[in-house]
Amino acid sequence: MKISMMIRITLLLALAPLAAAADLTDVDDIVRRANMAAFYQGTDGRAETRMTIVDSQGRKQLRQFTILRRTVEQGGDQDFLVFFSRPADVRGTVFRVAKHVGGEDDRWLYLPGLDLVKRIASGDKRTSFVGSHFFYEDVSGRSLADDSHQLVKTTADHYVVRNVPLDASAVEFSEYTVWVRKDNFLPEKAEYLDKAGKLYRRVEALAIEEIDGHPTATRMQVTDLLNGGHTINEMRFIRYDVGIPADVFSERSLRNPPREWLSRGQ
Amino acid sequence: MKHPVVGYSTRHPKQVFWLVLLLTLVAGAMLPAINIDTDPENMLAHDQPDRLLHDDIKARFGLSDVVVVGMVNEQGIFNPQSLNNLYALTRDIEQIDGVIARDLMSLAASDNISQEGPGTIRFSWMMDGPVEGQPQADAIREAVQRLPMMIDTLVSADQKAAGIYVPITSKDESYRIASEIRALVDDLPGDDRFHITGLPVAEDTFGVEMFIQMAISAPLAGLAIFLLMWWFFRSVALITAPMLMAMAVVIITMGALIGAGFTVHIMSSMIPIFLMPIAVVDSVHLLSEFADRYRPGDNVRELVHKILNHLFTPMLFTSITSAAGFLSLAFTPIPPVQVFGAFVAIGILLAFLFTVTFIPAYIVSLSPERLKAMAANAHSDDNRGALAGAVRGLGRVSLARAHLLTVAFALLVGAGIYGISKIEINDNPVRWFEPGHDIRVADRVLNEHFAGTYEAFLVLDHQSGDAIASALGARINSVLESATDEQRQQWTALAGDRLPSDAEALTALISAVDEKLFEVDMDAVAFWEDMLGMLEQAATDAKAFQQPQMLEYMDGLEQHLVGTGLVGKTNSVVNLVKTVFRELNGGEETAYRIPDSSRAVAQTLLSFQSSHRPDDLWHMVTPDMRSAAIWLQLSSGDNQHMSKVVDAVDRYVMENPLPEGVALQWGGLTYINVIWQDAMVSGMLDSLVSAFVVVLVMMTVLFRSLLFGILAMVPLTVTIVAIYGLIGFIGKDYDMPVAVLSSLTLGLSVDFAIHFLERTRSLVRETGSFRVAMQQMFEEPGRAISRNAIVIAIGFLPLLAAPLVPYQTVGIFLAAIMALSCLVTMMLLPSLFQLLKGVLFPDALENGTAKGE
Repeated sequence: MKISMMIRITLLLALAPLAAAADLTDVDDIVRRANMAAFYQGTDGRAETRMTIVDSQGRKQLRQFTILRRTVEQGGDQDFLVFFSRPADVRGTVFRVAKHVGGEDDRWLYLPGLDLVKRIASGDKRTSFVGSHFFYEDVSGRSLADDSHQLVKTTADHYVVRNVPLDASAVEFSEYTVWVRKDNFLPEKAEYLDKAGKLYRRVEALAIEEIDGHPTATRMQVTDLLNGGHTINEMRFIRYDVGIPADVFSERSLRNPPREWLSRGQ
Repeated sequence: MKHPVVGYSTRHPKQVFWLVLLLTLVAGAMLPAINIDTDPENMLAHDQPDRLLHDDIKARFGLSDVVVVGMVNEQGIFNPQSLNNLYALTRDIEQIDGVIARDLMSLAASDNISQEGPGTIRFSWMMDGPVEGQPQADAIREAVQRLPMMIDTLVSADQKAAGIYVPITSKDESYRIASEIRALVDDLPGDDRFHITGLPVAEDTFGVEMFIQMAISAPLAGLAIFLLMWWFFRSVALITAPMLMAMAVVIITMGALIGAGFTVHIMSSMIPIFLMPIAVVDSVHLLSEFADRYRPGDNVRELVHKILNHLFTPMLFTSITSAAGFLSLAFTPIPPVQVFGAFVAIGILLAFLFTVTFIPAYIVSLSPERLKAMAANAHSDDNRGALAGAVRGLGRVSLARAHLLTVAFALLVGAGIYGISKIEINDNPVRWFEPGHDIRVADRVLNEHFAGTYEAFLVLDHQSGDAIASALGARINSVLESATDEQRQQWTALAGDRLPSDAEALTALISAVDEKLFEVDMDAVAFWEDMLGMLEQAATDAKAFQQPQMLEYMDGLEQHLVGTGLVGKTNSVVNLVKTVFRELNGGEETAYRIPDSSRAVAQTLLSFQSSHRPDDLWHMVTPDMRSAAIWLQLSSGDNQHMSKVVDAVDRYVMENPLPEGVALQWGGLTYINVIWQDAMVSGMLDSLVSAFVVVLVMMTVLFRSLLFGILAMVPLTVTIVAIYGLIGFIGKDYDMPVAVLSSLTLGLSVDFAIHFLERTRSLVRETGSFRVAMQQMFEEPGRAISRNAIVIAIGFLPLLAAPLVPYQTVGIFLAAIMALSCLVTMMLLPSLFQLLKGVLFPDALENGTAKGE
């Protein structure tokens, strides 16, 4: 038993460089790996995000929040909590999302100024994330099953994948192309074409760092190429596999933020 | 050889022809560079303060010029067919080049916020696709009823009309975009009717039609003048010269205007129509006298010089006075009117120059046979014609009924002054189209259904950034006093000497302090947290239009304005906040209110921003929340209407003072129209007064007599008072074309008086008898003046055929002005002569001391 395990590990190690060297050709494999690399690092994690929204006139707004994430099933369901800390007038506002792959997500909103917890009926995920150029879907991840995927080409560093929505009426774009890095499978750039086939939106990873062994996009930007303006997300104090209990991701945390997991630790 | 220029021209006619032709060709080459400008905003100079404010408001709130598309169905629009038309049309319009799709407003591009079971709200597109059946259409109707932002803006309260507000990148594109929308509409099934309006469309359409108009009206005016002159003179040879000359003058003037880089505005598009008759009249004087006097065998050159010897001065003066009348328009603060005045003045002086060079050159170049034929034709008509009889009759009546006529004209002036007091100053670019025009119809229909398609913006700015910064500074200083030296140093290193007053810099400082908190020792944390708290409180306080009391003020103002009935509807962050707050609180009507705290407002807005159209917020407030815009929907674009709204706001603000630190500004096209209208009215008065003084001085110099100078001003004064009195009586709005006419009347109608006075004086001198002089005045000179009046009046009449109202106004009023000022000249002046002959003509026989014989 142990010997067979050893052999398997040895074999894996020996073959690993080969596998890395050989380009993948199965587009489903590529998009699955990209999805895992971008949204499923570790079993759980935390990050503090400083979001700068810049409009077409260059006017800036800042939003600061901490995200807690827990993966229920790798490549499957996840729980999110988003705690706003700045500007001061929205401090304490919390989003809670229970992502269900293959089903509708559950979303809740807590507004401390109104002392109100609202459930938000799952509908369109392509609504703005708190007024930024990011969509909810950019934050939680778009289901792989929503698009058909096609490997357009393989460059020295990237797999270039074209994605066409299966239900065109549900989204505002006609297709988008993702540049997936070959070394770590992080999507480095995505470009969206509108219904007229015009390039109008770009999502980019401006900085990628390895954190707790997971390559992570720590600086991301969405650009509105049609109207001008962009949003930059800078993520810091990222930690993975910190062991956040499942019951933290409950309604209780909306009114009683879990300080232990929100603090940066050392 | 009194005038060397005339002498040269009669000696070297070919050189004159070549020079005129060359000038015409050079100027003609400039014409294709024409640049049409119909933007009423350009009635104000680019750096005019109100216009700068308007531009600033547009920039800060991301406001675009808007084409309004209305869909009307008398059976109601909430049926699948109509809604699907709306959906399809919206999607197609979004794809049109030059349309800012993100900001397009339509039921089919709106977000809906609604209740979905207890404690659950839903953000979704109002229409996320075509409507499947009547139940779905009904559901949309229900949803719309709950959203005050949409009622009377996107859907009419009577549910029979829907609106699409199409923001465009440039006003110049609105005609094309409107045409593309029309083509889309034509392909839609069903019995929905569509209308397209909005100021940009009106303006751009006007530009296109104006261009067509210029190509029709001006040649038509030329044709009318040609036919009329042919009727008078029966000699193509004789009238060819003035026509050629008029054409040359028009081409050179327009070429110079375009070549100098000026845009052709609605006023300058009328330059050809003004110049054509004016250019012709002096040469008509010259030619008609030549035709009268010429006998076969005469020395043509000598006769021309002889005639010019006594016509040169009156022609020069009539040209200068007309030019002065137009040039006085340069005193108006309205650039297009200035350009118009200046170039018509240039054209008039050019016409004079050609009259004393080109026309003599032409006459001496004619063959003896043609001269003979010309003279024969002219004589045969002149003495016995209907015109001659009428002119003589006029003379008899004027002299015999001098008292009566003088009193009658005095009464006319009195009535005119009363009429002037009733003048309504008003303008509206949409009314530049005839009532039956598509744009007028659309305007009428849509404003019947909706709260109004005209927009004005009322902007509130909170200007207390510095006050907040200094208050913050005081609090921070008190904390710094009890801080350690090290903390003080670190604070100064971070914040500098001055605290930021603008939101972004304050936010940056907050972030910097936040970072600092993680570097410092545990015992310094309290200090930095204090600092952070104060900065954050100041940042929240600075968000003025997030404060409930500020929103309450706006709410009060908005409700007051709607209550006056002058404003159809207001849209602002207030109804947005109330609507979202209500839905967050379960959707009950009692929750339709402004939340109690700045935080609650901020979080309500944050919820709204999690929608499909978060940026809609930035048309209502600026991101720093220090400025807010109230969009007023007005059902009329009349300046008077807008002025009443401005007054209503002023009164409200007087009774309910603006919150401290808040300033109020106006923007929007409807408001801008009021500004240039006001500038025009006061500017026109200035220009009229200055022109009056200049012409009076010139007349006094010309006649070397103040009394004659004043007499020369009498006919035009009577004419102006009577015409403007008439405008007041018939209730015609005093708009831009009417305003411009005052100075023109002055410049044109003084011509008749100059000719009449000058000729009377010289005839009295020649004959020694007032009675004989008067008799002769109502022969050839009287006919020449009448002919001129008729030529100009008829020359302007083709404007009546124009589909654009300003052209019609100018046509009808100029014809009336010419007719009236000619009549006044030929009736009132002889009457006044009769009454004042002892003073005016002391040397005449009738006054007994004839020593001049």
